[in-house]
Amino acid sequence: MGGAPGFPHLHVASAFSAHYGVSWPGELAAAAAADGAEVLACTDRDGLYGTAKHVGACLGHGLDPVVGVDLAVRWGLPPAGGGSLGSAGRVVVLARGRTAGSGYRALVRLVSAAHAHTTGGAAGGSPYVTVAELADWAAGRHHGAPPELFVLLGPGSDVGQLMAARKYTAGRALLRRWKAALPAGALRVEVVCHLSPPGEKLSAAHAVRMLRAARDTRVPAVLTNAVRYATPDGAATADVLDAARALSSLETLADLQPNGQGWLKPAGPMHQVAREVCREAGAEGAGALLEATHALADACRLDPGSDLGWGRPTVPEASVIGIDGDPVTVLRQRTLAGARARFPQLYSGSRFSSSRAGRDLEDRLEHELGIITRLGFASYFLTVAEVVRMIEDMGVRVSARGSGASSLVNHLLRISAVDPMRHELVFERFLSNDRSTLPDIDVDVESARRHDVYEAIFARFGAERTTLMSMQNGYRARGAVRDAGMALGMEPEQVDTIAKQLWRFSASSFREAMDRMPELRGFAEQVESGRAAGQQQLDLLVDLTERLDRLPRHIAMHPCGVILGDASLLDRTPVQPSGIELPMSQFDKHDMDPMGMLKLDVLGVRMQSTIAYTLDEIERTTGERIDLEQVPLDDEATFGMIRTTHTLGVFQIESPGQRELIGKMAPVEFNDLIIDISLFRPGPMQSDMVRPFLEQRHGFAAARYPHPDLEPVLAETHGVTVFHEQVLRTLDTMTGCGLAKADEFRRQIGGPQEETVEACFRAAALEKGYPLDVIDEVWGTLHAFGSFGFCKAHGAAFAVPTYHSAWLKTHYPEAFLAGIFEHDPGMYPRRLMIAEARRMGIPVLPVDINASTESFRMEWVPAHPEVPGAPAHPDGGRWGIRLALTSMSGLSEREVQRIVAGQPYASLADVRDRARPTRRNLERLAQLGALDCLLPPGGASRTDLVHHLELQHAGAPAGAFGETPTGRRRTAGRRQVDGQLSLDLPDTEAQAIVPMFPPPSRDQMVRTELDLTAMDTTAHLMDSHRPYLDALGVTAAEDLLSLRSQSRVLVAGVRVATQTPPMRSGKRVVFISVDDGTGCVDASFFTEAQHETGEMLFSARLMLIEGTTRRTGPKAISLQAIRAWDLHRPETLPDPDYLDSSREAWRAWLRRDRSVARSGGARTDQGREAVPWGSGSRAPAGARPGVSRDIPHHDTGVWPVTVRGAVGLPPESSATGGDRRGAGLRGLDIHRPVPVPHPETWELLPTPED
Amino acid sequence: MGIFTQSVRVGCTTAGVPLRLEWNGRDYVLAAEPVRWYERRRWWTEEPRAERGRGAGLVDHEVWRVQVRLEKARNSPLLTLDISHHLDSGRWRLVRIHDGAAVRLRESA
Repeated sequence: MGGAPGFPHLHVASAFSAHYGVSWPGELAAAAAADGAEVLACTDRDGLYGTAKHVGACLGHGLDPVVGVDLAVRWGLPPAGGGSLGSAGRVVVLARGRTAGSGYRALVRLVSAAHAHTTGGAAGGSPYVTVAELADWAAGRHHGAPPELFVLLGPGSDVGQLMAARKYTAGRALLRRWKAALPAGALRVEVVCHLSPPGEKLSAAHAVRMLRAARDTRVPAVLTNAVRYATPDGAATADVLDAARALSSLETLADLQPNGQGWLKPAGPMHQVAREVCREAGAEGAGALLEATHALADACRLDPGSDLGWGRPTVPEASVIGIDGDPVTVLRQRTLAGARARFPQLYSGSRFSSSRAGRDLEDRLEHELGIITRLGFASYFLTVAEVVRMIEDMGVRVSARGSGASSLVNHLLRISAVDPMRHELVFERFLSNDRSTLPDIDVDVESARRHDVYEAIFARFGAERTTLMSMQNGYRARGAVRDAGMALGMEPEQVDTIAKQLWRFSASSFREAMDRMPELRGFAEQVESGRAAGQQQLDLLVDLTERLDRLPRHIAMHPCGVILGDASLLDRTPVQPSGIELPMSQFDKHDMDPMGMLKLDVLGVRMQSTIAYTLDEIERTTGERIDLEQVPLDDEATFGMIRTTHTLGVFQIESPGQRELIGKMAPVEFNDLIIDISLFRPGPMQSDMVRPFLEQRHGFAAARYPHPDLEPVLAETHGVTVFHEQVLRTLDTMTGCGLAKADEFRRQIGGPQEETVEACFRAAALEKGYPLDVIDEVWGTLHAFGSFGFCKAHGAAFAVPTYHSAWLKTHYPEAFLAGIFEHDPGMYPRRLMIAEARRMGIPVLPVDINASTESFRMEWVPAHPEVPGAPAHPDGGRWGIRLALTSMSGLSEREVQRIVAGQPYASLADVRDRARPTRRNLERLAQLGALDCLLPPGGASRTDLVHHLELQHAGAPAGAFGETPTGRRRTAGRRQVDGQLSLDLPDTEAQAIVPMFPPPSRDQMVRTELDLTAMDTTAHLMDSHRPYLDALGVTAAEDLLSLRSQSRVLVAGVRVATQTPPMRSGKRVVFISVDDGTGCVDASFFTEAQHETGEMLFSARLMLIEGTTRRTGPKAISLQAIRAWDLHRPETLPDPDYLDSSREAWRAWLRRDRSVARSGGARTDQGREAVPWGSGSRAPAGARPGVSRDIPHHDTGVWPVTVRGAVGLPPESSATGGDRRGAGLRGLDIHRPVPVPHPETWELLPTPED
Repeated sequence: MGIFTQSVRVGCTTAGVPLRLEWNGRDYVLAAEPVRWYERRRWWTEEPRAERGRGAGLVDHEVWRVQVRLEKARNSPLLTLDISHHLDSGRWRLVRIHDGAAVRLRESA
């Protein structure tokens, strides 16, 4: 063969072969290209999971891609009685290329057919195809045409297995059967030699037998290396994956790979293998084998454009969207109709008003329609509009999110509720002539109706045009350590203990994390001492965990992606069961654009369900139906509520950091909410945009504009650049480049192209006559956060539900909290919302067999001396919220239905008879007090009832407590039978219980409630600790605000939230919020406090925290923690005189701290000593003189981020920007959890006292 | 057949194929073309670390089966040896000595 360049590897599993492949498509393509290969295949197991990435990587490396799959095959369907008769092993199937897609189509359909034999999930069976299916899809399109698919019978096939077992005759016979079963020319024998020891599979001898069988049966043989890793280094990872797949340890794993030779070997070693095998086989030399391999590779080379439709968007056919005629015309008609509805004063009849606003509207509409038409996206907009119309018709709340709100067309089509004219949103941020990929339009729907919406979309567009998108779940730290531990044969308990200590860091940095994370200190010591004692297991555990990092484990339904296409969709993506009856694509969101697929994000948003529920409850209790669209956006009471920062439960602004920002910013109008939401992002936080903004907003500093021309652009944010839209307008104003070009520039800032942008900007601005210092300053700002700012359209889209939820919480608090309980939309546990209701004086009523239903409902509470809160109604009663039956864990859906159907109940027997709960659940209901209503007044207590039921159910022998009240004998373990017990036990049962025990104490009730409902309804969980906390002098959350800044306090509460940045260095901040019944305290733990606190930092539920207050605004106060204790470990807790006994030491420290703070925040390491009551003396995570402060932020992926001074301030203090290269923020993902700001960004704010 | 882990010195061709070896102070030459394979190691019990980027040689090692005779006594009996090549260190070790009669040099295919 000789001169052929490279070796075409045709059997390659990428990392997307879950629990099998090791290397990413990019690594494989790079290795192949480096060896001079022209062709590379990707043949993932069971699917085309890595196909799109593979094709992309091949294009990037100048390779021709080949795509295929590694599939299990059966000779026939399994017999009806079960069993897996007729396994044909695993084969590789490759698609023939340059067929205008017919080869790829056959492959896609084959893979979908394989998954049609499964029902999804781990228990749904594994995919396979029958030989008949394989033959069908492999067949050419007409008689005599070449096959669409090639089938490679390798060592994993039944033939290969027989050959490994030296059953030559049977093997050859089977090979002939294969040949006969498949279309002519489709079959290849795959020769693989991993140079394993003689006698083992994948040895030279095994390969030789395959080669001889091929020759004997006249089937062409090709050579592959059955690749699982790009380099030899991956072999150990493959071992661990094999163990993980088999749920076994390496030691006991039966089917280990014989050695580590399954890597992407270069041509040299592959040719060597070919020569060795061919010589042994006495064959005609290696030439024929290699030639056949190259020939097959050539036949399978794909042309991504014509075979896959690469990069060519495909939308549903016009007839399906329900239009006839030209989509462009229809789009124009529909938007004009929308204008008539949305802007009746500006567009009526068929004319725009001649006012300025009318002309603006017309210009904007023409502008957008022009771009949409030029790009040919009219059908796309009509498709989305059709989906939204359909969802609205279902009566489901729907709202667009994201940059789609920038478009007037979207607003007029009712896709988006936000008026882009009013909020000055820039269309080019969403779509421009320079973007050729379909823009993302994301819509939020009620989470509880999401599946209904999906089904409706499938029904509307047809199953052949619709599928769900999938996503890849990769290994993260905890899963990786568990599987690595299992592979090493460690005790599950030991591994579990270690896994629980891992907290949100990338597994790839495990070893690094051990050095610096306080909660891993214990583990690091174990590793150390193990190493000293000659045990390497923990060291290996760390290494293997790092190896597994990010490798895909399985695919799952994407939380919101729906793919819409034309009738050819299922020819272009393989589908498999998703677990919810609807099929899902094997492609994920990264594959959508390259594969030309239209994805619609239909996100289930719990807040939308909450709002819908709230509106229903209001209607049920008042008869009034509120249309939120008609609610004015300037309600003073709502903004008053927001300014109190009691925003728990309100969309987007309930997190600790947001409450702090709200407290400082004190929003007064809707636009403030947009700004607030936009500021509360990693970029603005990190670029220190917040401080100058607030200073100028509150008049501490004068707004300053680099140039008068920019004042209109930056006025709404007082000269600080916050929005992408402002970056676009700034660029456009100073260079005249146009908004589309400006958006392109914006995307390039922060990337490798930034220098080009800077050059263009400077040249054009100079030409327009701007002075150099202005250009320098503006560029500094653009550079610092041009790519980080937030799209105002996102903020505006978010601000709508934020305002609506705040409005509902202000005016209909009971209904709103009932909605919150029902749909649990926020970041906090439900028990915190119960505490919030208690704080607001809303009675929360316990589970009651007669009053509770399937949902949390408002209930009228008549005046009662024990009900707290001022009477809100003339007759002294008020609305409360009744807990739902569903809040009790363990109660099945059907039990709940039966209980509700049988209400009301007059007796225990009645409950048994008609509601028929399990015995255990009846006891639980009694424990919770849900049966208290059946107890006679003054008679038996709840405790008596519980005992009664327990004894009865235990079938205890007759005796002091065992005798049933009726005196009848009961058989031990007797089962309840429908309809019998009411005869068995008369109505008098409850009356007859002899009162013996006192009712449960409040603490006992709370404990029971927490156990059974995870909520403390009767009283706050902290109340039982009150005496100790009072003695200690603990401050209540509601009292914190009255304290001076930098007061030293002790607070205590139940942990409700923990947030921490991902870490790249030793510096990280842990934010812990605790609730003490009067409100939330948000504490930040810096390095020192983390060390003081130790392992309980992440594990303790009830915490006592010592810290200093940081007052940052009229309503904003937070705590910088010094240390914390676990209230469940009394032996570690401080003595009640703790505050007094450490006061002097404290004062000394505080003096130093304050003096340093006054000198500009430049504390020195020497100047700041260890807090006297602490044991550590580590430098604080703060600043050093002359050195930029490291401001870590947990959503940037970059650590630390250096901020050199303030951005948006006069040049002498302005930022030149930190090192943001590689910051993972480009293409900000709006679905990420809301980040918490670094308190450092707040510290320098003026506070009222100082 | 016995198991050894004695050190041997091996002279190779430029392609890395053994030509001659020195063992117990005596020189041997190859009498037939050697056979090479890669043999698995139970690295999870044998190695203290398995860090990423470690490269080849963790999961398997190269083994050559050679038939040799003494260089200075060309009609001495043939010896069949398995020698392993550690890629990390470049060192060779003798892992097995085969009883001449019991072992076929090459497994018949």
